[in-house]
Amino acid sequence: MFFTIFTHELRYWLKKPATYIYAAIFFVLAFFMASASAGIFDSVTVTTGSSRIVNSPIGIFNLYNALTIFIFFLFPSIIGISIYRDYKSEMHTILYSYPFSKANYLFAKFFSAIVVVTGIVFVIGIGMFIGFRFPGTNSELVAPFDLQSYLYTYLVYILPNVLLFGAIVFAVVTFTRNIAAGFITIVLLIFIQGLMEGLLSDSDNRALAAMLDPYGASAADYYVRYWTVAEQNEWHLPFKGLIIYNRLLWLGIASLIFGLVYKFFSFSQNAVSFSFRKDKGERSVKRNFGGITKINLPKVSFDYSFLQNLKTMWKLSNMEFLYIVKSWPFISILIVGLIIVLISLSEIGNLFGTPTLPVTWKMLNGGSAFVIAINICTFLYAGLLVHRGNITRMEDLIDVTPIPNWTLFLSKFIALLKMQLVMLAIIMASGMLFQIYNGYYNFEIGHYVYELFVLSFISYAIWAFLSMFVQTLMRNPYLGLFVLIVLAIGMPLLSLAGVEQAIFKYNQGPGYAYSDMNGYGDSFGLYMIYKLYWLFCGLVLLVFTALFWVRGLPDSFKERIQIAKRRLTLKMTILLSVFVIGFLALGFRIYYQNNILNTRISSKESELRTVEWEKTYKKYENAAQPRIVAVKANVNIFPKQLNFDASGEYVMINKTDVAIDSIFLNHNSYPSTFEFDKPNTLVSEDTIYNFDIYELKQPMLPGDSLTLSFTVKNKPNSLLEKNSPVRHNGTFINNFQIFPNLGYNGGELQDNKIREKYDLPPNELKPMPTDSTALGNTYIGKDSDWVDFEATVSTSEDQIAIAPGYLQKEWTENGRRYFHYKMDSKILNFYGFNSAEYEVKKDTWKDVNLEIYYHKGHEYNLDRMMAGMKASLEYNTKNFSPYQHKQLRIIEFPRTGGSFAQSFPNTIPFSEGVGFIADVDETEEGGVDYPFAITVHEVAHQWWAHQVIGADVLGATMLSESLSEYVSLKVLEHQQGKSQMRKFLKEALDDYLTQRTFESKREKPLMYNDGQGYIRYQKGSLVFYAISDYIGEEKLNNALKAYVEKVKFQEAPYTTSVEMVDYIKEVTPDSLQYVIKDMFETITLYENRVADVTSTELENGKYQVDIHFQVSKYRNDEKGKRFFSDNGKDSLQYQSETMKKPEYSVPLADYIDIGIFGEEEVNGVKKETELYLKKQKITQIDNHISIIVDEKPVEVGVDPYNKLIDTNSNDNRKKL
Amino acid sequence: MKLVIKDLTKTYKNGVKAIDNLSLEIGTGMFGLLGPNGAGKSSLMRTIATLQSPDSGSIMFGDINVLEDKMALRKVLGYLPQSFGVYPKMSAEALLDYFATLKGVSSKVDRNALVREVLEITNLYDVRKKHVAGYSGGMKQRFGIAQLLLNNPKLIIVDEPTAGLDPAERHRFLNVLREVGTNCTVIFSTHIVEDVKELCTDMAILNGGKILMQATPTQARESLRGKIWTKVVERDELEQMEAMYNVLSSNYNEDNTLNIRVHSDTLPADDFVAAEPQLDDVYFIALKQDEPIDS
Repeated sequence: MFFTIFTHELRYWLKKPATYIYAAIFFVLAFFMASASAGIFDSVTVTTGSSRIVNSPIGIFNLYNALTIFIFFLFPSIIGISIYRDYKSEMHTILYSYPFSKANYLFAKFFSAIVVVTGIVFVIGIGMFIGFRFPGTNSELVAPFDLQSYLYTYLVYILPNVLLFGAIVFAVVTFTRNIAAGFITIVLLIFIQGLMEGLLSDSDNRALAAMLDPYGASAADYYVRYWTVAEQNEWHLPFKGLIIYNRLLWLGIASLIFGLVYKFFSFSQNAVSFSFRKDKGERSVKRNFGGITKINLPKVSFDYSFLQNLKTMWKLSNMEFLYIVKSWPFISILIVGLIIVLISLSEIGNLFGTPTLPVTWKMLNGGSAFVIAINICTFLYAGLLVHRGNITRMEDLIDVTPIPNWTLFLSKFIALLKMQLVMLAIIMASGMLFQIYNGYYNFEIGHYVYELFVLSFISYAIWAFLSMFVQTLMRNPYLGLFVLIVLAIGMPLLSLAGVEQAIFKYNQGPGYAYSDMNGYGDSFGLYMIYKLYWLFCGLVLLVFTALFWVRGLPDSFKERIQIAKRRLTLKMTILLSVFVIGFLALGFRIYYQNNILNTRISSKESELRTVEWEKTYKKYENAAQPRIVAVKANVNIFPKQLNFDASGEYVMINKTDVAIDSIFLNHNSYPSTFEFDKPNTLVSEDTIYNFDIYELKQPMLPGDSLTLSFTVKNKPNSLLEKNSPVRHNGTFINNFQIFPNLGYNGGELQDNKIREKYDLPPNELKPMPTDSTALGNTYIGKDSDWVDFEATVSTSEDQIAIAPGYLQKEWTENGRRYFHYKMDSKILNFYGFNSAEYEVKKDTWKDVNLEIYYHKGHEYNLDRMMAGMKASLEYNTKNFSPYQHKQLRIIEFPRTGGSFAQSFPNTIPFSEGVGFIADVDETEEGGVDYPFAITVHEVAHQWWAHQVIGADVLGATMLSESLSEYVSLKVLEHQQGKSQMRKFLKEALDDYLTQRTFESKREKPLMYNDGQGYIRYQKGSLVFYAISDYIGEEKLNNALKAYVEKVKFQEAPYTTSVEMVDYIKEVTPDSLQYVIKDMFETITLYENRVADVTSTELENGKYQVDIHFQVSKYRNDEKGKRFFSDNGKDSLQYQSETMKKPEYSVPLADYIDIGIFGEEEVNGVKKETELYLKKQKITQIDNHISIIVDEKPVEVGVDPYNKLIDTNSNDNRKKL
Repeated sequence: MKLVIKDLTKTYKNGVKAIDNLSLEIGTGMFGLLGPNGAGKSSLMRTIATLQSPDSGSIMFGDINVLEDKMALRKVLGYLPQSFGVYPKMSAEALLDYFATLKGVSSKVDRNALVREVLEITNLYDVRKKHVAGYSGGMKQRFGIAQLLLNNPKLIIVDEPTAGLDPAERHRFLNVLREVGTNCTVIFSTHIVEDVKELCTDMAILNGGKILMQATPTQARESLRGKIWTKVVERDELEQMEAMYNVLSSNYNEDNTLNIRVHSDTLPADDFVAAEPQLDDVYFIALKQDEPIDS
């Protein structure tokens, strides 16, 4: 019997066109994603170049799993339908009386559907396989076919997931007899996945997430998240530990669910229904009613007018709306969506464990987790409303009433919009509740309303248009939903195939961003224009919805087209034309602006230009040029008009020992004029690359000077285009954005494989610091060393304008404010201009004036920042050298300009998003006080960049960023204790290990780093902190002091990381020289763990602790390949009886912290105490140690504070 | 007002010719459309009710060209399909209010009065607050009548309304229908001859998409007067009888003999007796004449 039903079911699916449509969609998706990642579109868009193999085991794992998630959306309409079909066709009334067992029935139904689904999953695999290898893909990115990768992903993840989710959907549909219920279950499960990913961001939760993630992806991630590129390319994913437990857990749950279905399923005629009102059983008896009734209908008036139809439309929309909000799919999506929103609200903007104040824009950002919920509801309910009559079989009754089509479908459309408005209102309500919960009462209702009900609502409405259209075309709401989801996700992916312009991608376009300082700035206008454009497209779709609206029972799609043609009356044609013309006109206008008025540069063209730029001008890279020695700037900022104009004067001196006959002026595309004070001719002018060559009549002899006067301004702004970096409030421009510079200054293609394609020589990176010929320039600029600086900045009357230097004079003229600044000492040729309506907070440290220019309302952390300035000045002055200026300013700028702070001479622009609105918790449990920490870091740059500046070679950023980070850590440690350090270091370690796995080129050791953030910040802070721990803070600082003394404000040749490390080496004892090698000169990672620990109480009341632990370390090459020996021969090896493979290590003579911790109670709160902490010399992998401590030990650890770089820092400690 | 159907043809995508060059005139009063299952009754009724478009032909209701001006017909149309569902979790009162709105009753007061009246006519007033989806078959059919009355229709189309109703419900239903149908055109399809006999002022027999005959029930019966003969036979004799005579129907008697009715212009044999013609005979003769002839 099983096989009869089973084969019958399979035959049913094989006959259904939908099966083939699904398979085809998935094949195309898989093919597109696989071939795009393997570079098939390289001829039309940017070259896909990377050292990453796209079909590596992990690559296949990721893509295969990602594509399979879509399949889950099909479960309700395949696995759910398999059983629902019998209810819908009322076949169950007959079938259930047949003599087969429920096991036969259920298993046959379930497994036939599973076979269909796995068939489609198989098609995905085929699509990927063909996609990776399709002619035109880049064979260097593709490894040979590896069956194991596909099988692993399929057998360990996809198949169990299909069974699990299949069982859940099957159970839900079987008992509710409702496909929508099955669908909602899938949505909820996908939300759970989102939740797990949220958990993953915190490293403490990862093991839990690995267990609980129903997809199993978090379990895999638990083991592979720190894999380097080389490891990702080669290694197969593991099948061990948490992965096995996770799979067993969920397979168990799947069986349990199926078992429950089996147990409770009965061949009954009625669905299980849940009701909170228990109805009493009542005997129902019919009244006897014979009799003839006189029919006398009351006289009523019938109104078929347009106006009445409009009223009816509104009334019906309310009815449809009630249907949505009362239906439990909506309610459950809403509730789960809300939970996600609240979770993301508490997570968003956290930095080093410290949250941001719940300001309104942050609440709105958190609400963006709700986007998926709103879109899915829109897609789903468009279908359920359009097909509502059909689903309930009431459509015949409705269709014969004299109501026009437009009243019907517009009422459904309006109901959909009302649903969206309700969901948006919920974001607002949850945001405000969250604010109240956190004791934040500055409700910006206007801001909420404006962003939610004006800005985002338009975008959702545009999706509603498309949803109505697609769902009207489709006869099955779940197929429609699936198509809409694919469209929504696929639209942005079209860029992969070279479709880059937003006007070709439905509802795409520039976004908007809010900052407290600048509001929505100028993003609003352009956003609205694109939305208007798409609104027209939506209206066109609405007309098509009207044409294809189903009234009655059309026999075929052909007939629907005939009906549509008939409905295209003159009135409809006019309406359609108006919308189409509106759509095309706006589209052409935008296209004209972007492609004709301005030459739009596609990613492909931009790649080609980079190639041509290098080929044409690289020859001048080493041509002798004069150096800028003085800068005078006049910058006028017009915040209302968003314009600027500027003029400037560079004084240049020939510091070389050769005569210079040509000046290579490298400028930007702003309209500019240039004039030299010596006779010259413009021999080459390049309007594409803006690289002009002036030949001097009289060559500049060594020591000669030359003055360049220039003007620059922006092109006029228009509604469609803003041509200047000026903001209404909070302008922040630096000199590289608007001022010219001298000589060829790089900007070349980096990836060697792409370079090879264009016949460019391999990228040499920057020169090594050991290359003494490469030390002529700082890494800030090639055209200057130290300059005199003077600037006059003007702005509107209500704003303050700031540039580096001391205010000489301030005046108002013609309704504008002018500020004249002048620097008293030489600075790097690196400066910025700020303008906004500022409040100013002032203080002093010794004879240095401290000022914070901030946005009114952002007073929360000014004291912390002020303290940070003082602490940093104090520490740097005491340990390194005096501060070179008499003033220090922090200047707030809008978060839309970025979330960073940047140190210019005596001036620190500081984003409103990274400190001004931090919500610092000063208790022990609180996170890092980052307004303080970032301030200390930026102030430290006044030394570590503005006094000591590295040559433009590898490792230069170690001298600035790593050292500033080190200072910040040390100051934090002195102020707030070691416990804060652990939080900071732990996060730094996790960030370093995670970010290096995304490295697309090469990772170099710290002192040769190529500028990657994760090396210079995260690894830098870990390394310097560890070094200070090993050799002592004072010793290290003294070495640095001597170094600063030697190199500060030096002229070329500039200093390098090698020089600094030499100073450190000098004060490092021989036994610790290996630390320098491990940390600065190589990439070395530890694998330390406590294997076992026992403690025995001794007779004298002390405790003997026996620790069994392992220490090993390995080195990575630049691709992340592991090495266990420096010479290819010597390495340590260890294998216990239970280990399958031996463990290796680079030979050890290392000093590692061994710690033992107790516990004490202070005011009822348990706190960790340090009973023992000492560095032990370790020479082998496997170690046993016995230590006697005075108090009861609770926990032990090897490198317990995570000072070393360790790929698994969680097993460093073990509780007793 | 008269409903005039001319040369109507409809062929479905799967090749079935549901309506085959059909012409029909229907005047005021109850019109019974009789035909076996699959005769094309529902297709014809859906086409008249503007739910389907024919391939060719025309339908006029008074001055209304039904195929061109569907809205005009819908204003005066009451339609009850063979089977229908309703929005779940909605009471009869709410649903009727909804339909009244769709049918253009703009004032709330009017709607309330109207809904109350149709609920009373159909004897659903007591259960007006209950969900229609939970109604029994008969109640649901009465609800169907209630919604159809809301626009005071001139043309009423009911498709096999009595199928599955118990005798009391069926009576009640037919009475209401009869009451409604006094002043307008009611087209009423059924495969139960009894229904037509009791109600209809005019009737037609439809099979294979064609009208086989059209007459008033009385006329139809009269036309057979003297041509229907009956005889009691043993079960075993039946096949022989069928071969010899035009046997229209055969019914068992209690003693396991059969009563057969034969159509013949003259007395078929001496042992036959003349019988009063019934509507069933008309129906069976019409269908028989339409049967494909085996060669």
